[in-house]
Amino acid sequence: MVMGDVTTGTDVLVIGGGPGGYVAAIRAAQRDLDVTLVEKDAYGGTCLNHGCIPSKALIHAADVAHEAGTAEDLGIHADPAVDAVALADWKDGVVDQLTGGVEKLCKANGVTLIEGTAAFSGEHTARIAHGGDGQGMESVEFEHAIVATGSRPIEIPNFPYAEETVWSSRDALGADAVPDRLVVVGAGYIGMELSTTFAKLGADVTVVEMLDDVLPTYEDDVKRVVRSRAEELGIEFSFGEGASDLREVDGTGIEVVTETEDGEESVYGADRVLVAVGREPVTDTLELDAAGLEPGSDGFLETDVQGRTDLDHVFAVGDVAGDPMLAHAASREGIVAAEAIAGEPAALDAQAVPSAVFTDPEIGTVGLTEAEAAAEGFDPVVGEMPLRASGRALTMNETDGFVRIVADEPSGYVLGGQVVAPEASELIAEIGLAIEMGATLADVAGTIHTHPTLSEAVMEAAENAMGQAIHTLNR
Amino acid sequence: MGETQFALPDVGEGVAEGELVAWLVEEGERVEEDQPVAEVETDKAIVEIPAAYDGIVSRLHAAEGEVVPVGDVIVTFDVDAEGSTADESAGAGDVDATTDEDAAGGAAAGDAAGENAADAEGAGATAAATDRVFAPPSVRTAAREAGVDLASVHGSGPGGRITADDLRAAIDGRPGSTGDGERTRPTDEAGRSRSDDEVAGSTGRRGSTATSRGGDSSGTADRDRTLAMPATRQLARDEGVDIDAVPASDRRDGEAYVTPDDVRAYAAGETGTAAGAGAAVADDVGERGGSEAGATGTDADAGTADADATRPGDRIPYRGVRRTIGERMATAKYTAPHVSHHDEVDVTDLVATRERLTAATAEDEPRLTYLPFVIKAVVAGLRAQPILNAELDEEAEEIVVHDRYDIGIAVATDAGLMVPVVENADEKGLLELAAEVRDLAARARSRTISPEELQGSTFTITNLGAIGGEHASPIINYPEVGILALGEIKRKPAVHEGEVVPRDLLTVSMSVDHRVVDGADAARFTNEVTRYLNDPDLLLLE
Repeated sequence: MVMGDVTTGTDVLVIGGGPGGYVAAIRAAQRDLDVTLVEKDAYGGTCLNHGCIPSKALIHAADVAHEAGTAEDLGIHADPAVDAVALADWKDGVVDQLTGGVEKLCKANGVTLIEGTAAFSGEHTARIAHGGDGQGMESVEFEHAIVATGSRPIEIPNFPYAEETVWSSRDALGADAVPDRLVVVGAGYIGMELSTTFAKLGADVTVVEMLDDVLPTYEDDVKRVVRSRAEELGIEFSFGEGASDLREVDGTGIEVVTETEDGEESVYGADRVLVAVGREPVTDTLELDAAGLEPGSDGFLETDVQGRTDLDHVFAVGDVAGDPMLAHAASREGIVAAEAIAGEPAALDAQAVPSAVFTDPEIGTVGLTEAEAAAEGFDPVVGEMPLRASGRALTMNETDGFVRIVADEPSGYVLGGQVVAPEASELIAEIGLAIEMGATLADVAGTIHTHPTLSEAVMEAAENAMGQAIHTLNR
Repeated sequence: MGETQFALPDVGEGVAEGELVAWLVEEGERVEEDQPVAEVETDKAIVEIPAAYDGIVSRLHAAEGEVVPVGDVIVTFDVDAEGSTADESAGAGDVDATTDEDAAGGAAAGDAAGENAADAEGAGATAAATDRVFAPPSVRTAAREAGVDLASVHGSGPGGRITADDLRAAIDGRPGSTGDGERTRPTDEAGRSRSDDEVAGSTGRRGSTATSRGGDSSGTADRDRTLAMPATRQLARDEGVDIDAVPASDRRDGEAYVTPDDVRAYAAGETGTAAGAGAAVADDVGERGGSEAGATGTDADAGTADADATRPGDRIPYRGVRRTIGERMATAKYTAPHVSHHDEVDVTDLVATRERLTAATAEDEPRLTYLPFVIKAVVAGLRAQPILNAELDEEAEEIVVHDRYDIGIAVATDAGLMVPVVENADEKGLLELAAEVRDLAARARSRTISPEELQGSTFTITNLGAIGGEHASPIINYPEVGILALGEIKRKPAVHEGEVVPRDLLTVSMSVDHRVVDGADAARFTNEVTRYLNDPDLLLLE
């Protein structure tokens, strides 16, 4: 122990104040545990500061601008000008309000907050280095620890984020100017969300993707809608190419060099390149070995259904604990871990974790696809409602996409859903609820939905799966 | 775990078969001992058949509407092995799903099946399609709190979904789990998820059976206006039933409210027989003591007055209660030589007495009707003429004169005539009799009355209604030897103390088994009944 260190004791040390960590801290405090939360950067973590919230703010603003500028069909003529600085201010205001709220909530629940970077120094101790030189260290003795250090964007060779012209998703969300030309490396959900957003804000966007399509984990018909809308926005795609090099071009920006598997090179001129090839867990700063823990080869910490690592008293939640790397999953994991520490029989036993992609149109998925259901031994039946048959979608002038529901035919149980539609991120919640509640197609179809809404499509899809849809042709 | 065959038990005296009206459980459903599994229509009643075991219904052997001989297997149960929840899990799986899964045979599912099959140890069962257990988060949480593996709990919800009730049942059924506050508390919490229960179709049905016990005491099964949900109306149309003819089990805003179960019960049990008129009887019996009864009173025409449900050209299955009634009537008519006896009783004083007593009755006491007076008068008559309270034991060649006064009260119901029994009528007061008759009649109408309550009467009272006239030739409720039919109390000109004045007159019709009872006995009995009804003060001495 370093001379002058202050050592404090706590029941639960939570490392990381993102949606996994702060939620765990508050729940543990609600269970009358003494809780210390360490955050090195900003409360709310990636989600609030550099992910979900700023990206959605930016996406919303881009949508407003884009819709206003493309509403001639509706008889509306406008030529919106985007003040990127003002937009960034508004977005930052949203973020500040939320992160401030997290801090207040933690304090109100009696969570002790420490700013700094935590690393294990023993099985039951951690040292916290306060930010900045000369700010000192302190040690914390804990009964239990919850590791919630999250993830960071993966960097690729020759594209250091330290370069001003190279953006991580975090940089892109913090930008206060829209580049004229943007090359996006990676057509996963982050790449697709941001390329759509910047295209709507006026950038010329080129997407470079090593695989042969966008959104590798989604079904073909889901991808197709999103890709073709992106193309309509003017986004250009180059599939089968990996970014290999970056060249500064004097006075005119940069060039992104790509390579195919066969070694064929292409060059794309740009002002900025956004690298969005995935995220990696933050475990390297933790000195896990001091606690006797070892992450897997991919850096993730392995956990059981309560979030418990190999050490009984150390838990890991959120991105650091592996897929799904989603804020809402992290929060649930945090709650479960906190309750487990409090001695409750909590467990992660959700039937399905929904996910949403805020592209245009949005994608919402939950549970099993038809193929997954079949692979799991169900006898799946599928019902669909195309948005062009939805009155509400027509009134929104948004008819690309569909609502699909997957169920087990003999029992009628809803097993999953895939939604490509405006507000798909909201619509998917209903199917998620149906799965969790063990609802059947008849339950969903028998639930009266408001008219005219997009959610009617969920009811209709369920009826379609039962072969009794009114507004669509039954399959 | 093992399979156990469950045969249709002897549901009542001399019943050889019953029509399986409705299953109350589904294949794959977990049932507990004494839980009703089926409604069987037999000897003048619809009887709920209780399960004899805890277990899973693995097979139902009869179709609804089928006539099943007593002793035939109707259900195969998978019976739980005591304390072996792991085994239960394998058994609880839907048989169909298991089969499908085997066919599908995905890699992941294959592993799961392997594990579960290993757990099941010779149960011969395999896992469900996946490891997935369908239960809402609240139930999953409650299961963890109670330390129950949901894979071991059978779901009664749609498609086998596990409800809070299922979990509670599993916990209650678990060895050593009772009487422990620590453990029972979570079950209470689980039980709060009411919505689960409501989703479960089977429980809903049982629940409504209980509801129907509340009964529609108005008996207005021939209404001009009926409240019902659109789906219920559709169901009625599907079943070919006039919704205005269906006895309602509930009321909304003071009006009859018919539920789907009312319709099903009616459609299942009516087989084209009494509806409108039938349901009204018990009240009429209570209200008018057999006079002005709105129902079919005589045995002969009971259950055929349903103009609403029966249409020209119908061919109506002759079975269930209707056939039982018919067979009984034929036996009675062709075994016992009937002789009839008619009389007219001046009940002017009785009318006044009843009005006076009714006014004096407290509000929370049962409404005093004529029938209790008649029962008391009949008991007095039977005391005076014990041969009327008897039966002929043909085998022993003995006339058995009863030493008890168990009076059958004929009640027309939707399904036909039923005769619930007021036991030891001689020991009961007027209000007590009123309450008992009311209760028995209501339960007979809703067909929730037990077979025991329909057996063992020693003498029967029936009544004519407004539909009928004044006199009848009632058929004896065999093997009794006498039956008294009451007509309508009518105000008529009569000679009273030498003057022709308006008087309240009641006609009575007797039938007796002439093998045992002679006309003179019948006359003396009727005279005694008449004497009491003439002068109700005498009843006070009873």
